[in-house]
Amino acid sequence: MWFFVGGVAIVVLIGVIAVFVSRGDGDDRSETPGATEVAASVEIEGASLSPFQPGDDDPAVGEPAPAVAGEDFDGAAVTIGEGGRPQLVVFLAHWCPHCQAEVPRIADLARGGGIPSGVELVGVATSTTSGRDNYPPSEWLEREGWPGSVLVDTAGNEAANAYGLSSFPFFVVLDGEGRVVERQSGELTEDQLRDLVDQALRSSSSSTSSTSTTIAGP
Amino acid sequence: MDTQTANAFLSLLAFVAFAIAAVGIVVTGLAVSAPSLRVAVVELLAGWWDRILLVAFAVATVATIGSLYYSQVADFVPCELCWYQRICMYPLVVVLGVGWWRRDPASVWYALPLAVAGGGIATYHALVERYPSLGEGLSCSVEAPCTVPYFREFGWVTIAVMSLAGFLAILACSVAALIGARADRTMAAV
Repeated sequence: MWFFVGGVAIVVLIGVIAVFVSRGDGDDRSETPGATEVAASVEIEGASLSPFQPGDDDPAVGEPAPAVAGEDFDGAAVTIGEGGRPQLVVFLAHWCPHCQAEVPRIADLARGGGIPSGVELVGVATSTTSGRDNYPPSEWLEREGWPGSVLVDTAGNEAANAYGLSSFPFFVVLDGEGRVVERQSGELTEDQLRDLVDQALRSSSSSTSSTSTTIAGP
Repeated sequence: MDTQTANAFLSLLAFVAFAIAAVGIVVTGLAVSAPSLRVAVVELLAGWWDRILLVAFAVATVATIGSLYYSQVADFVPCELCWYQRICMYPLVVVLGVGWWRRDPASVWYALPLAVAGGGIATYHALVERYPSLGEGLSCSVEAPCTVPYFREFGWVTIAVMSLAGFLAILACSVAALIGARADRTMAAV
């Protein structure tokens, strides 16, 4: 009898300790003032891309990407897929250790001049979950010095689903007309990141060449 | 109770479970290395084996309830390795509970394979959380990936670590109960 009572007493004591311990942790997890971690909605125009599967033949290459209009953590407008200039879109989940490893790599690449102004870098904060590791994403990306803009996805991951995300991190290269040049998933090396940037720059050159040909015609 | 409080509560209980397992290892080591202590240890276990079996049952029960809280209340989707550990842990509630109720130490023989298998899977799961490249390669799947813990309480306690603590405590208590029950019968026969 006393053994059972003693055991229950120990468990209750641990519960009380846990309440005090978790109250202290709770103060550390407050959101950045003014930051919206999950968007209420995003505007999507155009057909969704097929789910990405690694391999040589991606059916989405050459297809127009859906145009997604949303906001960053502070409410400023951010768009992807609308054309205008080439974009390197990186879909990131704050809890994914491969994204956590990739973001500083991208930041270092940008600091070293590896992402020229002719390519727009846009991160998409998606699959955001308050109970998971490395929350909130706004603090994470600010802490790591994310060098581009950030589009905040909805709780239903609408932007990510529209681009065919299948795993994190997810990269989509768009040309100046908003068409898909390349899609990749998984953690990339610096050389692989440079290759994506080069593909975006080449797509810009290709677009410029075709425009010149049209202008020079009879 | 919110998720943060549950994380702290279950993590602290995991520390207790690790302590139980550590005591079991130390006592076993003493009994093996110091024959003079063996008699005292066995006599102690003989008098407490049913309570030790109760502790094993309690650990399995708390682990099961905690597991169901995370999936059904906190909406943490169990990954594949979580399901395998559940398959090992949930039956232990019945096996050890009935064994304690009937004061039947033979129930330990049914519990041991489940605890060993579950402990092995929990060890692997904790490893791939620490070293994700061992598990899913270089990407995180959109569904519940086994390489990504939902939280790290106190910097290192994840659900897989809690599971490992539970299986180790159940193993230690089961072995201790078996030794104690055998000694109890021997002394009763004398």
